[in-house]
Amino acid sequence: MIIEAQGLRKTFTARRGRGKAEEVEAVRGIDLSVGEGEIFAALGPNGAGKTTTVRMLATFTVPTAGTARVAGYDVVTDAAKVRERIGYVSQAGGVDDNAPGLESLVLAARLAGASRRDALARAGELLETFSLTEVANRPARTLSGGQKRRFALAIGLVNRPPLVFLDEPTTGLDPQNRANLWEEIRALRDAGTSVLLTTHYLDEADALCDRLVIIDHGLIVAEGTPGGLKKEIAGDVVTLRTDDPAAARELLAAQPYIAETRLEGEVLRAYLDDGEHSLPALLRALESGGVSIGSISLDRATLDDVFLKHTGRSLRDAA
Amino acid sequence: MLRHTMLFLGYELGNLRRNPAWPLLGIMQPVLYLLLFAPLLTKLTPGGTLSEALVVFTPAALVMIALFGSMFTGFGMINETRNGVLERLAVSQAWRPSIVLGRVAKDMIMLVLQSLLVLGVASLMGLRISLSAMGLMLLLMAVTGLFAANLSYGLALSIRDENGMSQIVQFFLLPLMLLSGLMLPISLGPDWMQAVAKFNPLYYAVEAGRALFAGDFSSGTIPTAFALFLVLGVLTLTWSVRSLRKLAG
Repeated sequence: MIIEAQGLRKTFTARRGRGKAEEVEAVRGIDLSVGEGEIFAALGPNGAGKTTTVRMLATFTVPTAGTARVAGYDVVTDAAKVRERIGYVSQAGGVDDNAPGLESLVLAARLAGASRRDALARAGELLETFSLTEVANRPARTLSGGQKRRFALAIGLVNRPPLVFLDEPTTGLDPQNRANLWEEIRALRDAGTSVLLTTHYLDEADALCDRLVIIDHGLIVAEGTPGGLKKEIAGDVVTLRTDDPAAARELLAAQPYIAETRLEGEVLRAYLDDGEHSLPALLRALESGGVSIGSISLDRATLDDVFLKHTGRSLRDAA
Repeated sequence: MLRHTMLFLGYELGNLRRNPAWPLLGIMQPVLYLLLFAPLLTKLTPGGTLSEALVVFTPAALVMIALFGSMFTGFGMINETRNGVLERLAVSQAWRPSIVLGRVAKDMIMLVLQSLLVLGVASLMGLRISLSAMGLMLLLMAVTGLFAANLSYGLALSIRDENGMSQIVQFFLLPLMLLSGLMLPISLGPDWMQAVAKFNPLYYAVEAGRALFAGDFSSGTIPTAFALFLVLGVLTLTWSVRSLRKLAG
């Protein structure tokens, strides 16, 4: 295991106005284990405690309670050893806007112990990998969001760490750049690097990670592989808007092929296996019950349905 | 540890070399004071000459660069608390004090170079001082910069807000300047002002500079100023490195 954490907690003291201190429990007890060579995701809404968790594992923030071993060393008592073995790319990126990206890259390599020659060689290698050679000498402030993010990633990899932390790596990127970055993250795993990333994008966690945890309000609410988690709920979901959602729910819950129903405001979701074959029966049932349909759709269940099952709300609505 | 400090210094000097316009602009204010204010002091000197006035005023013009230059250097670091640079460096293998020390070393070098340029202008105007006085003055400027830059980084890391920082620096700047005898020697003032000035570290820098320029190397103000700024420099460095740790909450 490259990451093993037990009972991680972090409480911040926030100042609200004059002298009033308020305790904020950002992380309320998280256990994690990430295997070597895995892409592991922490999925959750903004403010769930993902960033704080990553910051504790990357030795930036000291946990209020709990322990964590990263790359074999304790994050509090052996922080220096952990820092030699990790790469950390924060949400903000950490690329100096005023200097050419190459300078940041060389400085990072030299701080990690490389000689000037080795640092230049390593920088050249990374520039090549991330297609940044042509913009290497331009001040970072003139780069596009995607280029800057690739520089941030390159800087995080400069010491060839066995583990990288990527905090919201694709936030703010356009779809093309996002897809490219996913490819680069997969290539990292294929080269044997373990990756812990946080995201609030469902599709990202689904497409990219080998295993994930869903974090909400500072706690892990579900853990598993994307496929395994979705298997816990039925494979398909019918989403309905009707004139009388409560009646429709009662009606559908009584059908033998419906595994579960959830009502969220006006929207009714019915989970079922083999949706294509059961849909005609479902429509007949609604019709004979006198429910008039506003809209209906049949989809494969997603991680959002998993999130909904465990937290009672949709990740799209959770702020 | 020294290696990391030198690496950060090299990086910062590289940035300075690519963009030398701002430090050059930074010496405009002291140069203007030399050109347009020092002549006003001519009548106050015993011999009534400009070169005598320059002996009194040039040290003040140099301290002015430290005050209006180095005290503002922390502004750049406020941005680095937000764009993730400090966050990244804090979890890198860098020795933490070197993050601040490398930047402070850059500020000290910049201050010495700016001082040299201002001294050049002053000598063109007729200032004549010994090389040893000049060398010691530049050293004094370096330790003044050590204090002013560390203080500025400490403020930046504690306040982490450009508006708040500019208010606080402005708030302290004027009384510090007036009570250092920068414009006119404090000895011209009443007793209470002379007493209050003793609590202003910059007062010692200006006094020591004037003693050096007057060739009065045995003056007690010179070792006092060096000792004071070294001690204050270490204290403010400790403070700014501690503030770096508080970034994580």
